[in-house]
Amino acid sequence: MSRLATQWLPVALSADIEPSTSAGLHVEGHELVVWRDASGNAHVWEDRCPHRGMRLSFGFVRGDHIACLYHGWQYDAAGQCRHIPAHPQLDVPQTIRVPRLAAREAAGLIWATEQDSLTFPPAAETVAAEPVQTLAINTPVDRLADALSKAGWVGDGTFGRLDVEGLRLIVGLHPANDGKALMHVLVEAGMAGPRARIEAARFAQALRDRIEAGVAIPGEAA
Amino acid sequence: MSQLILHDYEMDEDSYRVRLLMSFLGVTAERVAVDMFPGHVHDSPAFRRLSPLGLMPVLEIHGTPLAGSAAILATLAACQDETRQWLPTEPALHGDVMSWLTFSERALAAARQARLCALFALAGDTARMEAEARSAFRVLEDRMTLNRIEGRDWIVGTQPTIADLALFPSFALSRDYGIDHNDYPALRLWLRRLRRLPGFITMPGIPDYH
Repeated sequence: MSRLATQWLPVALSADIEPSTSAGLHVEGHELVVWRDASGNAHVWEDRCPHRGMRLSFGFVRGDHIACLYHGWQYDAAGQCRHIPAHPQLDVPQTIRVPRLAAREAAGLIWATEQDSLTFPPAAETVAAEPVQTLAINTPVDRLADALSKAGWVGDGTFGRLDVEGLRLIVGLHPANDGKALMHVLVEAGMAGPRARIEAARFAQALRDRIEAGVAIPGEAA
Repeated sequence: MSQLILHDYEMDEDSYRVRLLMSFLGVTAERVAVDMFPGHVHDSPAFRRLSPLGLMPVLEIHGTPLAGSAAILATLAACQDETRQWLPTEPALHGDVMSWLTFSERALAAARQARLCALFALAGDTARMEAEARSAFRVLEDRMTLNRIEGRDWIVGTQPTIADLALFPSFALSRDYGIDHNDYPALRLWLRRLRRLPGFITMPGIPDYH
């Protein structure tokens, strides 16, 4: 079972999904599309058009619909197919739907889960943060969380704070496919001049490179 | 530079780099299609007289051949763009653009080859090529992340240059050889900005902006 079935996961920086764009996303075997409609609402769905299985993340966003690149089938924010260009007069059957996950935005991140009844992590509700970078790291997410914890990351294994080099970083993790992890890095608002964000990005890039090389990271106990 | 002949191939990403700059600059050329695959015409003795290394594409300027996308991009940007937006004259910016042209030729060579292997069933160590391509994309992703934080949307300076054109097609086409764009949010947004520029044209694998 993937962690999406049991918890809210931060899956992208809010700033990286601009209005009217979509992106592909892997979470422990799930292929997802994250997209933002023209009015600014973020959505996380399964990345498959019910018609031919084409990735919706290759498609395009029109208003509050996302359309498949293959044949232009359009889906509304509820995942319901609303328009099939080859049959413009057709009243589209209710059964043509894309499975959706629950999605929320908090702390500068887009979060998703399969269980929208789950309590949202309270630590994320109250944080204001400025985006820095999402980094793909070739290491399992638990190994990454462990390394971050030894470096002083205070969180729940998915989301937390890391004070380093005069910076207060907000770091969220999610497991991707093939033993990779994605690390979403932000800085707490208030120290968020471009200089702090540049330093945070350089720190995060160096951290990624050290973790992949198996080198102890700054602050990590030997 | 009134008489231009471009020897190119529709599926070749370096030919596309040149066609794209010509479109942005409003420059037109007579086009001669070179059958790279399956014909391997770029390896033929006749073509090697125009392009000794077999580099594609070739731009003939009043009968003088210029081979390879880097040389052609730099020459067209120097001669056909009075604003010098595409190849700035200010030394620091100029040098930065030229160094990214070198990056394109060297660090993205594996990406180009991986794509040709995938599309035309060429032999080669594709796992190594893909790993090198990912390393190059990571360098670009880190660079574009820092640029964005500083409020700059392009690789060099505050406007698109030939550095952007030398770099982005290899990333845009990476799905041809199995590297998706999931891990590169900054490059994805950069690609979107490029596709929205007036005069943008497509090639197979790089669709129009919707």
